[in-house]
Amino acid sequence: MNNGDKASTVLLGLTMAFLALAICFGLNVWGHPRRLYSIPLVDPQFTETSTIRKSYAELIRAKADLSDFDCYACHDKKKPPTIRFDTNQNIIIPTEHADVVMGHGRHNRNNNCFNCHDEQNLELLQTRDGHQVKLAESPPLCGSCHGPTYRDWEAGAHGRTGGYWNRTAGAAKRQICVDCHNPHLPKIPSRQPAPAPHPLRPLAQVSDPNPH
Amino acid sequence: MSSLPVDPSAGSPPPMDRRDFLRTSAVLASGLAALAASLAPLRELENFPSVEQFMQKYYREMTPDEMAKVLQRIEKEVERQYGVRPHVRDLKPMDGVEFVYALNLTRCIGCRKCVHACVAENNQSRNPEIQYIRVVQLPHGSLDLEKADHNYNPEMVPEKGYFYMPVQCQQCKNPPCVKVCPVHATWQEADGITVIDYDWCIGCRYCAAACPYWARHFNFKQPSIPKERLNPEMAYLGNRPRRQGVMEKCHFCVQRTRAGRYPACLEVCPVGARKFGNVLDPESEVSYILRAKRVFIQLKEELGTSPRFFYYFDV
Repeated sequence: MNNGDKASTVLLGLTMAFLALAICFGLNVWGHPRRLYSIPLVDPQFTETSTIRKSYAELIRAKADLSDFDCYACHDKKKPPTIRFDTNQNIIIPTEHADVVMGHGRHNRNNNCFNCHDEQNLELLQTRDGHQVKLAESPPLCGSCHGPTYRDWEAGAHGRTGGYWNRTAGAAKRQICVDCHNPHLPKIPSRQPAPAPHPLRPLAQVSDPNPH
Repeated sequence: MSSLPVDPSAGSPPPMDRRDFLRTSAVLASGLAALAASLAPLRELENFPSVEQFMQKYYREMTPDEMAKVLQRIEKEVERQYGVRPHVRDLKPMDGVEFVYALNLTRCIGCRKCVHACVAENNQSRNPEIQYIRVVQLPHGSLDLEKADHNYNPEMVPEKGYFYMPVQCQQCKNPPCVKVCPVHATWQEADGITVIDYDWCIGCRYCAAACPYWARHFNFKQPSIPKERLNPEMAYLGNRPRRQGVMEKCHFCVQRTRAGRYPACLEVCPVGARKFGNVLDPESEVSYILRAKRVFIQLKEELGTSPRFFYYFDV
């Protein structure tokens, strides 16, 4: 075997080794990099900042349809409506107001419309001590019972705030009680949670059966 | 002497004939081609730092002119990568401002909206997921984090018998993560926010090991953010896109809060459990809460990290 043949053999061997490597890389034999399974993008409903409900004041601002609040389209101005109760002292909601679900407080003492609504003028509200309150300016009415919460809300510690913390840079956006709480059923409704954190790859031992 | 005949076969190899030459060059050529093919994995190496980025000075040593150039470079790079021209700023802490966060555990319903608002605001990687906020579910009557679960996934929240505690960077007054950083790529600013210079971080992950709140997150992979979900309002120390191999964490949305706005997690909270503000201002909400609300805790108070993140309860 002469020198040329030796060199060729070495070169051939190297070529084979490189080719083998190239094929291995091409076929991704070592599984590198590990493939990620796809994670769906989060639904935009979980990043939007709107309030839980729309208050009357908000509806006025949004110039929405306010015909639902025109009490005297149906009621008679001179005749205050009567409230009927069943034998368990539960209020009977008339069919015209079927959208109202009464659940203010854990007891049954607050199931009277005229604890808050003014029976003489249905378009107004009234506090227990007889002060009339406009429908769009209800927080003092709520505060007449929920004193500590009202105090916290006035200080900004209860309820939602948005906009600017630095009042010199811009205005803060405050929400009122009924932007979040339904006055007839004030407990915040339960809601669907946003997706849980996804593990890096599906694990059998993760107890959470992830729907994705 | 010089005219001595030399035997050609003694020292130098015999002259190569045509066939040998062709064979050798064919082998050589295919060998080189195979070598090139076997170096394929090198092609996957990308995102080398540009020369400008490599030569960039330390954040706190940069003059305003140099910073302006850096911001331009970042804008260019983001535009090249995402096709969106961002607005990158370098916002400095304000005088007389120290940020504090307060979270009402009585109100939180565990809906995780804060988690995803934060991801959207701060351009975190969607896959693999990086999330600054971890909402843990705890059984009533205990603050034992051994019982905490962040994988809860019921149909509806809140679940009976549980309360929820979102945990994120606590912006400690005595931050262990800052102490361990070997290159000073993370530090506490005058307004109390612990920030990271993503261009200075070497990715050693010491800070992640030091943090008792699991608040620091490492980019093991190149972050993936869909173009249409990129938030173009960026800050150098805030939500500009990170690269693979650097640390990131909650920075109280510096791009928002240093411009006077509330952080994104607060804006999205449907129940108003999150409160944020300047604790040096006696009129602010957080001052009122720390002064007037009966109970508040700092998470893992016993470690002496002194968080600027307070959990409180309505009584």
